[in-house]
Amino acid sequence: MTFVEYKQLNPFQKFAYNFKKFFLNIPGALGRFFKGIGKAIVKFFVSIGRGFKNYGVTFAKGDWATKLSYLIFGIGDIHKGKIYKGIMFFLAEVLYILYIVFFGWQYISKFGSLGTVETHQVQDGIIKRTVFGDNSMLILLYSVLTIVITIVVFAIYIANIKDAYRHQLMRANGEKPTTLKEDAKDFLDGKYHITLLSFPVLMISIFNILPLIFMILIAFTNYDKAHMPPGTLFTWVGLQNFESLFDIVNTPKKATTFLELTEWTLLWAVIATFSNYILGMIVALMINKKGIKLKSLWRTLFVITIAVPQFVSLLLMNQMLQTNGAINVLLTDISHLFGGTEQVEIQFLNSSTFMARATVVIVNIWVGIPYTILSMSGILMNIPEDLYESARIDGASPFKTFSAITLPYMIFVTTPQLITQFVGNINNFNVIYLLTGGGPSTEQYYQAGKTDILVTWLFTLSMTSQDYGLAAAIGILVFIVCATLSLIIYNNSKSMKDEEAFS
Amino acid sequence: MIKSYKLRRHLSNALIYIILAVLGIIWVSPFAYLLMHSFRAESTITVPYLIPHEWTFQNYIDLFNVGSGGSAAINFPRWFINTLVVAIFSCIISTISVLAVSYTFSRLRFKARKKLMNVGMILGMFPGFMTMIAIYYLLKAMNLNQNLVALVICYSCGAGLGFQISKGYFDTIPHALDEAATIDGATKNQIFWRIILPMSKPIIVYTVLTSFIGPWCDFILAKIIMGDKRELYTVAIGLQSMISPEFINEYYKQFLAGSVLVAVPITLLFLKMQKYYVEGVTAGGVKG
Amino acid sequence: MKKILAVLLAGMMAVTAFAGCGGQTTESSGSSSGSGESESTAIEVKDSIVDESVFGDENNISLKVWAPDKAVALVKQQVEDFKAAYPGKTFTKIEVVAQGEGDAGTQLLNDASVAADVFSFASDQLNKLVDAKVIADVAFKDYVTQENAPETITAATIKDTLYAYPETNDNGYYLVYDNTVVNEEQAKTLEGILEACRAAGKKFIFNCGDGFYGCTFAFTGGVKIDGFEEDGVTQKFTDYDEAEAVATLQAFSKLMHDYKGTFTSLDVAQIASGFSTGTLGAGVDGSWNTVADQDALKDKFGAAKLPTINVNGTDKQLISMFGYKYIGVNASSQFPAAAQILALYLSGEKCQEQRAEQLGWGPSNKAVQEKPVVADSPVLQAIKQQSENACVQVNIAATLWSPMGNLGNKLIAEQTNPDDAEFFKKLLKETIENIRDEG
Repeated sequence: MTFVEYKQLNPFQKFAYNFKKFFLNIPGALGRFFKGIGKAIVKFFVSIGRGFKNYGVTFAKGDWATKLSYLIFGIGDIHKGKIYKGIMFFLAEVLYILYIVFFGWQYISKFGSLGTVETHQVQDGIIKRTVFGDNSMLILLYSVLTIVITIVVFAIYIANIKDAYRHQLMRANGEKPTTLKEDAKDFLDGKYHITLLSFPVLMISIFNILPLIFMILIAFTNYDKAHMPPGTLFTWVGLQNFESLFDIVNTPKKATTFLELTEWTLLWAVIATFSNYILGMIVALMINKKGIKLKSLWRTLFVITIAVPQFVSLLLMNQMLQTNGAINVLLTDISHLFGGTEQVEIQFLNSSTFMARATVVIVNIWVGIPYTILSMSGILMNIPEDLYESARIDGASPFKTFSAITLPYMIFVTTPQLITQFVGNINNFNVIYLLTGGGPSTEQYYQAGKTDILVTWLFTLSMTSQDYGLAAAIGILVFIVCATLSLIIYNNSKSMKDEEAFS
Repeated sequence: MIKSYKLRRHLSNALIYIILAVLGIIWVSPFAYLLMHSFRAESTITVPYLIPHEWTFQNYIDLFNVGSGGSAAINFPRWFINTLVVAIFSCIISTISVLAVSYTFSRLRFKARKKLMNVGMILGMFPGFMTMIAIYYLLKAMNLNQNLVALVICYSCGAGLGFQISKGYFDTIPHALDEAATIDGATKNQIFWRIILPMSKPIIVYTVLTSFIGPWCDFILAKIIMGDKRELYTVAIGLQSMISPEFINEYYKQFLAGSVLVAVPITLLFLKMQKYYVEGVTAGGVKG
Repeated sequence: MKKILAVLLAGMMAVTAFAGCGGQTTESSGSSSGSGESESTAIEVKDSIVDESVFGDENNISLKVWAPDKAVALVKQQVEDFKAAYPGKTFTKIEVVAQGEGDAGTQLLNDASVAADVFSFASDQLNKLVDAKVIADVAFKDYVTQENAPETITAATIKDTLYAYPETNDNGYYLVYDNTVVNEEQAKTLEGILEACRAAGKKFIFNCGDGFYGCTFAFTGGVKIDGFEEDGVTQKFTDYDEAEAVATLQAFSKLMHDYKGTFTSLDVAQIASGFSTGTLGAGVDGSWNTVADQDALKDKFGAAKLPTINVNGTDKQLISMFGYKYIGVNASSQFPAAAQILALYLSGEKCQEQRAEQLGWGPSNKAVQEKPVVADSPVLQAIKQQSENACVQVNIAATLWSPMGNLGNKLIAEQTNPDDAEFFKKLLKETIENIRDEG
C-alpha cells in the first residue's frame, strides 16, 4: 500500500490496517528479539574474554601496590593517596570474608546436594527431642544470597583493580587523585544517577531479584508435599516439573490442565482488556461530551470502585452473587413485580462454566472501567482544541469529527496502556481468587477450576497441595510469556522510539 | 434545519443522561448495599431482603469496643492504626524511590540506562506470591518477621520498578528548562529538586496515592509475615479474619462496618486528589 | 507405686548426667534398675499432674499456647491453675494466643520457630505435622492412652507412636433443625427432612461444594479412605462396590434435583443466619457453630445425627467425615519437658470437663464422657452417634478436599442428569484419580 492510498482510507480502515500490520509485525519482532538476545549473549562472552585480557595486562603493567590490590582490596588506592576509597574497598573484603566464614560457607557448601542430614529424634529422658538436620530451603535461599553477594564483591574487586591502575596512570602523568569533597560533589551531578539509583537498586536486589532467583531455582527441585523442610529434604530434579506440564502421555491431567488454563488465561486477558478498554472509552466519551453537565459527579460515581480496596469490593460481590445473595434477592423482587412467584436462584459462580466466566468478566468490567474512564477523560481533555476548530470550519459532522480526530488520537495515545493492562490481566489474581476461588470445580483439571487462570492455579498449587516445584515452573512460563510480549511491544512502540520527541 | 439539529442534540444528551444515570446506579449500588447493611441490627450474615428492617450503630460501636464481642483477637482500631502507620512510611519511601528512578531514566544519560529500564520493566511481571517464602525467611534472617517494619519494606521495596508512568510524565517536561539551568551552573541534583519536582505535582500526588492505597489492600503477604501476632495485623487481613469460619457468625456485620470505615477515608482522599491523579496518569500514560 | 517413682528418678538422673547440665539433680531413693530410656513412659501421673522432677533442669519457663479464640479466656485460667499445681517452678511467661484450630497446622509449618509450644489443632493436620517432623511425640503415652477414648488414641497414633494429646471428640458435623418445621421422626431420613422443609417453604442447607462435607456422598456410597499408600502421600481407598457407589450418588443427585429450591448448597456460616431469618428448616452444620445455631433457634433447636438416604429401597445411613481435636507439642520448643507437662495438664480430665461445661465441647476423656454435662446434651449425643457412622479424619491427603468438593458440586449442578449412570461412574473414577494425583 502506498502512502497516498493509506491517506485515502477512512480512520477505521487506517486503524484496521495498522492493527493488521502490528500483528503481522509480531513474528518479525519476535525474530529480532531473539536475535537481540543472541547478540547480547555473544557480546557478554566477548566482554568476559576482554575482561580476562585486561585483568592480565593490568597485572603485568601494574606497580607493586596495584599488584598487591589483586590480593588485598584497596592497597593501590591507599598507596596513591585516595585513602577513603581504599579503606572502603578494604572493608568490603574484610566483611565478605567474615560473611563467608561465619555464615555463607555452611550453606553454599551444600548447594550441590541441598543437604544430606535428615531430621531425626533422640531420646532425652522422658522426652524425645527433635534434632533438626539440614533445611534444604534455607540452604537454597542462603546459597543464592551468598552467590549474589559474591557477584557484587567480585564487581567491587574488579573496580578496585581498575581504580588502582587508573590512579597509577594518573600518578605517572603527575595528576593528583580527587578528594572526597570533589567526589561527593560529582555524585550530585555527573554521577547523580548512581546516587539516585543506589537505594532503589539495593532494595530491589534484596527483595525482588534474590527471591526471584530462589524461585526460579525451586522450579528445578522436587520441593513438594513429600519433600518438605524442615522434616524432609528436597533436591535437584532437573526439568521434571516442566516435563509434567507438557507430557500428555505420562501426566495427562497436569498437561491438560496447563494447556486449557493457558487457553483460558489468554482468552480472559483479551476479553478483559478489550471489554474494559472499549466500554471505558464509550463511558468516558459520554461523560466528556459537550453539553453534558455534572461531569465531575458522573466521574465520581465511577471512581468509588477504585477507591474502595479491591478485597472489600470483590468479597462483597462474591457474597452478593451467592444463590441467596443480594442479586438473586433483587431478581426475585423484580420477578414478583411482574407476577412471578418462584424464587430466583441463579448459580452465578459455581455451576456452569459459561455463566461463571461471564460473571467474572462482568465483575471485572465493574472493577476495571473506572481506571479507563479516568485516563481517557484526561486524554480527551488534552486533545488540542484547534483540531476541532478547523474541523468545524470545514463543516464536519459530529460523527466525522469523532471518527477523524477523537478516535485515532485516543487509540494512538493509549496503545501502551493497553499492553500494560493485557499483561496485568494475565496476572489478575484478585478478581478470580476473591470472586470465584477458581470455581466451578471440575474433575478434568488437577487442583484447578474452570475460571482459574495460571496465576491462581499456581497459588492453589503452592498453598493447598504444596507443589512448590510445579508452581514455580508455571510461574516461570507465565513470566517468560509476559516479559517477551512486553519487551517486544515496549521497545517497538512509538513512545519508546521517539522518547525525546518533546524535548 | 437548525432546529432539528438542536432537537437531535437534546435528544441524544437526554439519552446519555439516562445511560449515565443507570450505569451510575449500577456502579454505586453494591456500596450502597454495603453501607446499609453495616447499619443492620437483625440477623447475622445474610437476609433475604435488600433493605434492613432495623437500623443500629451498634456494629460500629462494637468495632471500637475491643473485647466487647467476646474476643480480644479482633482489634479493629489497632489494625487501623497499624495500617495507617505502614501506609504512611511505605508511601514516603515508595514515592522517593519512584521519583528518583523515573528522574534518572528520564533525564540522566549513562551506559546501562536502557538495559536497566528493560530489566526493571520485566522484573515487575513475576507473579509476586511465589517469592513470599523467600522474602519471609530473608526478613526473618534480619530479625524482622512479625514486625511492622517488615511490611513497610515489603510494600516499598519494589516501588522503584513502577517508574513507567512518572518517567513518562518527566519526559513531557521540556528539556530546554534543564539546559538553561545547566548553563546557569546548576547541578543535576539542583535541577531535580528545584526544577523538575516543583513542576510535577500531579505525578507526585499520583504516586503518593497509589502507594498509600497498597497496604490497605494486601491480604496475602501481611498474613504470612504476621502469623499469630494478631495485634500487628493490617485491616485487610484483620477484616478477612473476621469472615473466617471461626468468627463469621459473630463478626459479619462488624466486617461490613469495618469495610465502610476503610473505604470512606480512601474514597474521600481519592476524590479530593482526583484531578491530579487524572493529570498524572494521562501525561504519564501518553508517553509511558 | 514407690518403685515406679524410683525408676523414674533414676531415669532422670541418667538424663541429667547425659545432658551434662548441672541443673537440679533429683535425689535417687535407692534401687535403680534398667536404663532410663526403656522405662521412660512409666511416669506416675495423677490427675494430669506429674512430679516436678519431670521438668528436669528446665526452670524460668516461658511458653506460648495456641487456643481457638473462644477458648482463650478459659485456657488462660487453666494455665493459672497449672502454674499453681507446680509451686516449685518459676514460670517467666505463659502466653495464650488466639489461633484457630483449622489453621494451626499451616501456621506451624510456615515457621515452627515462631509458633506456639503447645497448640490445639484439628486431626486432619496431624499427618502433615508428623511428616514435616515439627510435632513431638507424647511423653506420657500410657497415662493418656488409659484416660482417653480408644478411637481418639488410635487416630493420633502413626506407626505405633502417639503424637498428640486428645482434647475433644467432637470435630464433625451433624443435623441441626428447627423443630417446628421438622419433627424428630422426619429428621431420621433425608427424604423426610426435605419434604418437611418444602412443605413449610423453607430451605435445607448442605455445603456440597466443600470437600469436608462433600465427601459424605462418596463415603455413604461405600468409598472409604484407608490411610496412605507406601509412599506416605497418596491417599489409599478401601475396595468398594462401584455399582453401589454410583447408585448412591445418583440417589443423592436425584433428591437434590427433585427438591430444587429446597436443597441448597451454601457455606455453613449461612445456617445460623438462615435460622434467624426464618428461611431455613434444617441444615448440616459443624459442631463449632452450635452456639450460633442455638442462639438463632432458641427453644426450637433440634439436633440429631445425619439422616439416612433411600437407595434403591434400602435406607443407608449418611457417613460423614469426623475428626478430633488434639493438643500438640512443638518439636522445636525451647522447653520440651514443660511443654509436654502443660499439654498433659490441658488435655486432662479437669480441663476437659471445664470445656464441656463452659464451651460445650465434647470430651475425649472417658470419665468426662460419663458425666451428666455430656450425657444430657442433645448436641453432644448427636455428635457422638454420628461419630459411630463416620470416617475418621486422619491420614488425609491435602488433595482430597477439592475433588470431593467438586463431586458434591456436580451432584447438585443443574446440568447434571441424575439418571445418567455413566456420568456418575466417570465422575467417581476421576474424583478418585484426582485425589490420588494419578496423571
